[in-house]
Amino acid sequence: MTFQKIQIIAFYTFKELLKSKILINVFFVGLLLMVMTYVATEFTYGVPERVALDFGLGMLSLSSIAISLFLGVNLLSKEIDSRTVYMVIARPVPRYAFILGKIIGLVGIQFVNVFLLSLMTLVVTYVLGGNISSLILWAIGFTFLESILLLLVVVLMSLLANNILSSLISVVILLLGHAVKETQGVGFVQNNPFVKTILEIYHFILPGFYKLNLKDFVLYKTALPLEYLFSSLVYGLSYSAFLLLVIIFIFNRKNID
Amino acid sequence: MIKFTNVTKIFKSDILSQPFTALDHVSFNVPEGSMVGFLGANGAGKTTSLKIIMDFIRPTEGEVLFSNSLGKNKLEIFKNIGFLPERPYFYPTLSGLDFLKFMGKLSGLSLNQINDEVKKWAPIFKIEFALNRELKTYSKGMLQRIGFLATIMHHPKIIILDEPLSGLDPIGRKELKDVIIQVHKEGKTVFFSSHIIPDVEEICDRVIFLKEGKLVYDGSVNSLMQSGKTQDFYISAHVPPDFVPHIKPKESIKFPDDLQKFLVSPELKNEFLSELITNQFNVVSVEMQKPSLEEIFYKTRGQA
Repeated sequence: MTFQKIQIIAFYTFKELLKSKILINVFFVGLLLMVMTYVATEFTYGVPERVALDFGLGMLSLSSIAISLFLGVNLLSKEIDSRTVYMVIARPVPRYAFILGKIIGLVGIQFVNVFLLSLMTLVVTYVLGGNISSLILWAIGFTFLESILLLLVVVLMSLLANNILSSLISVVILLLGHAVKETQGVGFVQNNPFVKTILEIYHFILPGFYKLNLKDFVLYKTALPLEYLFSSLVYGLSYSAFLLLVIIFIFNRKNID
Repeated sequence: MIKFTNVTKIFKSDILSQPFTALDHVSFNVPEGSMVGFLGANGAGKTTSLKIIMDFIRPTEGEVLFSNSLGKNKLEIFKNIGFLPERPYFYPTLSGLDFLKFMGKLSGLSLNQINDEVKKWAPIFKIEFALNRELKTYSKGMLQRIGFLATIMHHPKIIILDEPLSGLDPIGRKELKDVIIQVHKEGKTVFFSSHIIPDVEEICDRVIFLKEGKLVYDGSVNSLMQSGKTQDFYISAHVPPDFVPHIKPKESIKFPDDLQKFLVSPELKNEFLSELITNQFNVVSVEMQKPSLEEIFYKTRGQA
């Protein structure tokens, strides 16, 4: 019964977002991808397919980060500010069903975005003579997972702070999450026990987005050990599940004023 | 049906700000089958009370109890409640019909049931022509009407409305009031907040007054009206402009064509009338003063 309510909320959230012309974003990013790939291949000797793939995955990542940030930050605050949330939770709908439905609806939009841009990237790469390795598909899947993880970070922050602050904090968490591993290897950190401990604590608590970034490997390798891929997948999924639980816990207790 | 028991709500936005008491030990009942008006000036605590009833916010102290006829747990209870928030906003890119399907499905209605309800109510609310239009193209009155349709389409036992008539033109208000009366006659309990007192006086049998977060009256409209009666009389007569009666009226209002309306106490009524008749003035009417609910509210309780 509650599962059905989650489905209904997810469906109408998806429908509303779809009608809000968010996918025009995808169209323009796709167009930009084509134009930039064409321009870049004109100046590249021998590896146009690699350039296309690099641009494609980069654009895919930027576009999904933008959707998670801009739509994620408004996902609940807009509902509360415009009181549309009252129309839903005044019905026999548990709060967790509302929040799950909203997030699943937005993940659906994110899926469409990732699917369309990946398709364009793969087609362009293939046309230019590149191979579609399994690692490319893993990289696309991980970009999708990264966007979900970021979306959950943004939604969580939006429950705790205002829109601007929550966007800023989320961007900082995203950047640090990508940089933390390499920063830990820097000589200054290795020689400074205090900074090393701080980074270890950070690494332990906050999401390590670097684990979901396979873009650098894709250009120079065709495969990665399955253990690495699966451990990253399990990390991404379990961190997402943890964030979802925290979001539900906070939203259940929140005064919706 | 709903028992609001000793509820206090204190808001404190941050550590540095002063706490603000929005509700101060407020208790009242909404009896089954009644039509209850929830009155008070802006900021009196009406919306806060409704948000606590709907569990949008939690009280600092006190509790809200629902009768067993509504259900045993929150989901069962909310299935039997229809709630329309103040100035409702809807998903702007959804069509009216999509919105009603969304709300109906959440309340457990099948698609056929939703279609039946829409067929029944859309002509009454005069929105059938706009059902396929996006909600962002709706006027405020249309939004209020479709919101009301969504509130009653699942046949709730109690309807809770927050300022349902504000912002509507007189015809829109009349139409909505007629529907409220209709659903009440069908056996539904209606609890609605308003700061437009004549509307409440017109359709409610019971009122609850809040003032600055405190309960000032909870009872029947009739009792309140009786308590406000003064037994004074209004006597209207055509008199010369310079007429000064021997018996001084409590109040006198001049109208065109030398018509004057005097307010006199019951013990002086006959004497005052004799003076008018002796002077051969044309007495037009004699009527007992019946103060409106609004007058009683402002004179005896309000000043809000």
